[in-house]
Amino acid sequence: MFVKDPILLACTITVVLPFLSFLTIICYTRKWEKVSCSISIGAILISLICAIYLFIASRHFAEPLQYKLPWIISGKTIIPFGFLVDHLSMLMLVIVAVIASLVQIYSLGYMAGDPGFSRYYAFQSLFAWAMMTMTVAPSMIQFYIFWELVGLASYLLIGFYYEKWSASQAGKKAFVVTRIGDVGMFIGLVILLLFYGNLSIVGVNSAAVAKQIPAPLITISAILIFCGVIGKSAQFPLLTWLPDAMEGPTPVSALLHSATMVAAGVYMFARLFPFFSGSADALQFALLIGTITMVLSSTMAMVARDIKQVWAYSTVSQLGYMVMALGAGGYVSGMFHLTTHAGFKALLFLCSGVFIHHYHTNDFFVMSRQGARSLKVPMVCMTIGALALSGVFPFSGFFSKESIMVALASHPNKIWLAAGLFGEVLTAYYTFRLIFVMLFPKEMEETHHEEEHHEGEGILYWLMGWPLIILASVTCVLGFFEKQFEHYLLGDYILAHGVEHGAEAAHAGGHWLTITAISLVAIGVAVAWLEYGRKGASQEGFLSRMPAIEKLFARRWYMDHFYRWALDMIIYSGFTNIFTRNDRRVIDGGIDGLCRGTEGSGRIASFLQSNMVQYNIFVMVAILGFVALSFLG
Amino acid sequence: MKSLLFLPEIYYTVMALVLFLLSVQTVANRRRTFLVAFGLASLGLFVTLFSVKMHGHLFYNAYRVDLFSQVFKFMLALGLFFVVAICDNLEGISEREHAEFYFFLTTCTIGMMMLVSAVELLTFYIALELSSYSLYILVPLRRGTGFDKEAGVKYILIGATASAFLLFGMSLLFGVSHTTYLPELFKLFPNLITQPAGAIGLMLVLAGLFFKQAVFPFHFWAPDVYQGASNQVTTYIATASKVAAIAIVIRFVGLASENNHMLVQVLTVLSVASMTFGNLVAIIQKDIKRLLAYSSIAHAGYVLIGILTLDKTGFASAMFYALAYLIMNFSCFMVIVKVAPNGRNVWVKDLAGLHKRSPLLAMTLMLGLFGLAGIPPTIGFTGKFLVFLAAMQKGYLALVIIGMINATISLYYYLIIIKAAYLLEPDEDEIPPLKVGAGLKILNYGLIAAIVLLGIAPSQLFDIAKAAASMLY
Repeated sequence: MFVKDPILLACTITVVLPFLSFLTIICYTRKWEKVSCSISIGAILISLICAIYLFIASRHFAEPLQYKLPWIISGKTIIPFGFLVDHLSMLMLVIVAVIASLVQIYSLGYMAGDPGFSRYYAFQSLFAWAMMTMTVAPSMIQFYIFWELVGLASYLLIGFYYEKWSASQAGKKAFVVTRIGDVGMFIGLVILLLFYGNLSIVGVNSAAVAKQIPAPLITISAILIFCGVIGKSAQFPLLTWLPDAMEGPTPVSALLHSATMVAAGVYMFARLFPFFSGSADALQFALLIGTITMVLSSTMAMVARDIKQVWAYSTVSQLGYMVMALGAGGYVSGMFHLTTHAGFKALLFLCSGVFIHHYHTNDFFVMSRQGARSLKVPMVCMTIGALALSGVFPFSGFFSKESIMVALASHPNKIWLAAGLFGEVLTAYYTFRLIFVMLFPKEMEETHHEEEHHEGEGILYWLMGWPLIILASVTCVLGFFEKQFEHYLLGDYILAHGVEHGAEAAHAGGHWLTITAISLVAIGVAVAWLEYGRKGASQEGFLSRMPAIEKLFARRWYMDHFYRWALDMIIYSGFTNIFTRNDRRVIDGGIDGLCRGTEGSGRIASFLQSNMVQYNIFVMVAILGFVALSFLG
Repeated sequence: MKSLLFLPEIYYTVMALVLFLLSVQTVANRRRTFLVAFGLASLGLFVTLFSVKMHGHLFYNAYRVDLFSQVFKFMLALGLFFVVAICDNLEGISEREHAEFYFFLTTCTIGMMMLVSAVELLTFYIALELSSYSLYILVPLRRGTGFDKEAGVKYILIGATASAFLLFGMSLLFGVSHTTYLPELFKLFPNLITQPAGAIGLMLVLAGLFFKQAVFPFHFWAPDVYQGASNQVTTYIATASKVAAIAIVIRFVGLASENNHMLVQVLTVLSVASMTFGNLVAIIQKDIKRLLAYSSIAHAGYVLIGILTLDKTGFASAMFYALAYLIMNFSCFMVIVKVAPNGRNVWVKDLAGLHKRSPLLAMTLMLGLFGLAGIPPTIGFTGKFLVFLAAMQKGYLALVIIGMINATISLYYYLIIIKAAYLLEPDEDEIPPLKVGAGLKILNYGLIAAIVLLGIAPSQLFDIAKAAASMLY
């Protein structure tokens, strides 16, 4: 069966190898670091090769190819386990495999000498397995299971430095907050299961759903499922976990919180896109959420001083863009932005990782003073990433954002377009604020790191350098493949299912849009230059003259405060209090009482056991007499 | 060839004679005595196993050899073997009396073997007294304390009362049926049970038997005897003697037909009282042997649940329970015997740090106690499950629920012992590790394997028990 079908074989290998690697490392090779990392990297590289093969092999598929093995059979409901091979899943598979491999190679340098080195690679493998199995899931059940496993793996990786209080807290926060969204998603899936009868992705996307389920119910379940996206992709109002998740090692941030895990939410949105498009209200809701997220997180990024925080906020805002694109019906543009973003955001994080590794600080003002620009390779690569992020021609971000703007422009309500364009200014501003600070430090400190640099620039430095260069070159050229990308992704499949993509049709008439976008980006960059870049710049943003607003942005619009307050007021002093009291008084008290009663009755009963034999015998005879009487009566 | 049917009894009589000869030697050699007794007891296992398939009648049909009796004989031989196996360090009994100790153990076993085969009232009574008298002597045979003498006297007095009940009941049965043969009684019984004399006769006989089984309210001897007798003797009373008691109770209750509501009611009340009383009082005990005495009262109640269904499945489940109880209870007692310093009694707190002194013994103790508490996948769980299942098939839901509540209560005091063995730190810093010899290790592994494996795969044994139960009359 495997030999005859190379596609199935490749799928199996891709998915199973990282899991085997996880098991092997966690069970056997934790003591041998070299062995552990070789196993993990070897597994992910083989998976990558298989994924690329699948990507190429599936380019001509007209229909999605499914492999299913029944896993749970309960009455009429069959829950299968297997693979769904189509353009979307294969695209995502390749993205995940590429980023995961590069991050793992990069980690050889970054994590060298860490006491938890083997554990790190075990978790990396676990993550890769969960993410890739989720990607190729043919049913929403499998999708959901591995969606949660991705959450678990990210929890383990964020809290990797578990002896650090803030790290373990951040891991917990990420896990709990995403779970809130997942509850909604689960309920939505259950509604679908109840009314439609199965959760196969192809089935849910088919037109049959609309016939079987009343329209309001579709809207409800779509919005509930979208809650999963809100949690996983850190959309408003659940976006607060992502910036905290930067407590993990930097490669982890690159892998999970920029390129793959948070993209899982968007991927699910795209995966069920035909289903979501069945409800205009749900799309509208998504558009709204995406827009709020995008604007809010951009403002937060404008005042952050932690390099990873800036990229984290930018991730959230870019995810907002993707959701906006999908919400506006731009299926291809959303996925295209996901792809380009995965490349340049991983690049940005990995570059920051080099700086953090060298200067042992996350504050880019401090890095800059210590001479960050002398690290040529990461500095150049980071600038390329930043250009792509802010959408400057000819880097990949320009093309994908352009396509999103077109999608937004085709939407009848132009307010979304205005918000999107406004976001471009903010993006350019905060990105180049960071770049200019790094490039043009205000004053230089005499660094004592100089000698370390030379030691550092050995094999480890280049282990970290090569993934950067690869990602930077991808970022430079990826944008030009927009047409091929669109062609690959759409194929005949989406067309066959009647999804409008009027957005793409409006492409031609959008010259003014391109010009507007470019000039807005230019404005953003210019403001950043005036404040941070030019000679004698104060390096203080215009926001510092408005302390109230700056504080609002720096405190994340007081969202954490609000959650803390809500948690304290409603959960802790409300529910928890009641339940704790119930537990103490009623349950514990009842059980204690029961135990005391039991023991007490034991003491009372033991009085029967006196040492007087005549009394004992009397009891025997008396009871026998009663028995005899009852027989007679 | 017919006398071959009597092979186990003959074998053990020979064994008793050998031990008797050893006891009249002027110089006592405790090692030699032990080896002889141990060798003979091991051989006895094979002899009883060899005779399991035999069936026939002896002594003018007063003696019946069938699967039921032979299975119980094997269990009794196993019980004797177990007890002798832990006598290599018989410190509770003075050295000069070791041979007598083994001798009386053997005669008691012979008595009980005859008991499970006897189907004639007088034969039955003689066999019962043979086993009882041996125990009357064994209990006060302890060195030192003086506590044993009190227990011995109490045992005899209560035993004598029970015998009086038994004899009175038998005479009533004979009076109404004009026969002493149980199979003939069985045929007449549906009519007899409606007469007051028949019903009371059966009840009095059962009272005499419940004394052996320590069912409430005939249990008064158990705590004192368990506590007063030497550890090995207590082990024997708690294992082999209980098995025999279950066998004879099944034999007599089996006389009644299946739908005898009055008998069921009386047995239900006794069962519930036994379980509840035993478990409640066990909670506050400090001496482990006394605690296990109360636990044995509770277990007598569980067994009665199976017996009072009055059908083959119920009897079979009670038989299975008997075997389970033999193995589990012995596991606990074996550890107590090994832990006991100089053959003294063991308190719960004396077990502190056992898992460090001997992990293997601690493991055996834990499994044995889990079995007694009825935690899966031990043989004790399966035993309780089968008993409760039999009762459920008869529709005695309330009884089963009471049984389960009682199992929960019992878990408390069993866990106290396990906690002592595993979690408590001993008062003194240096407690020497316990030496566990190779033979004892094998015994431990065997017990652990039996507790777990028979718990997981009980079906073959249960089939044998069912076949045996269907041979009753």
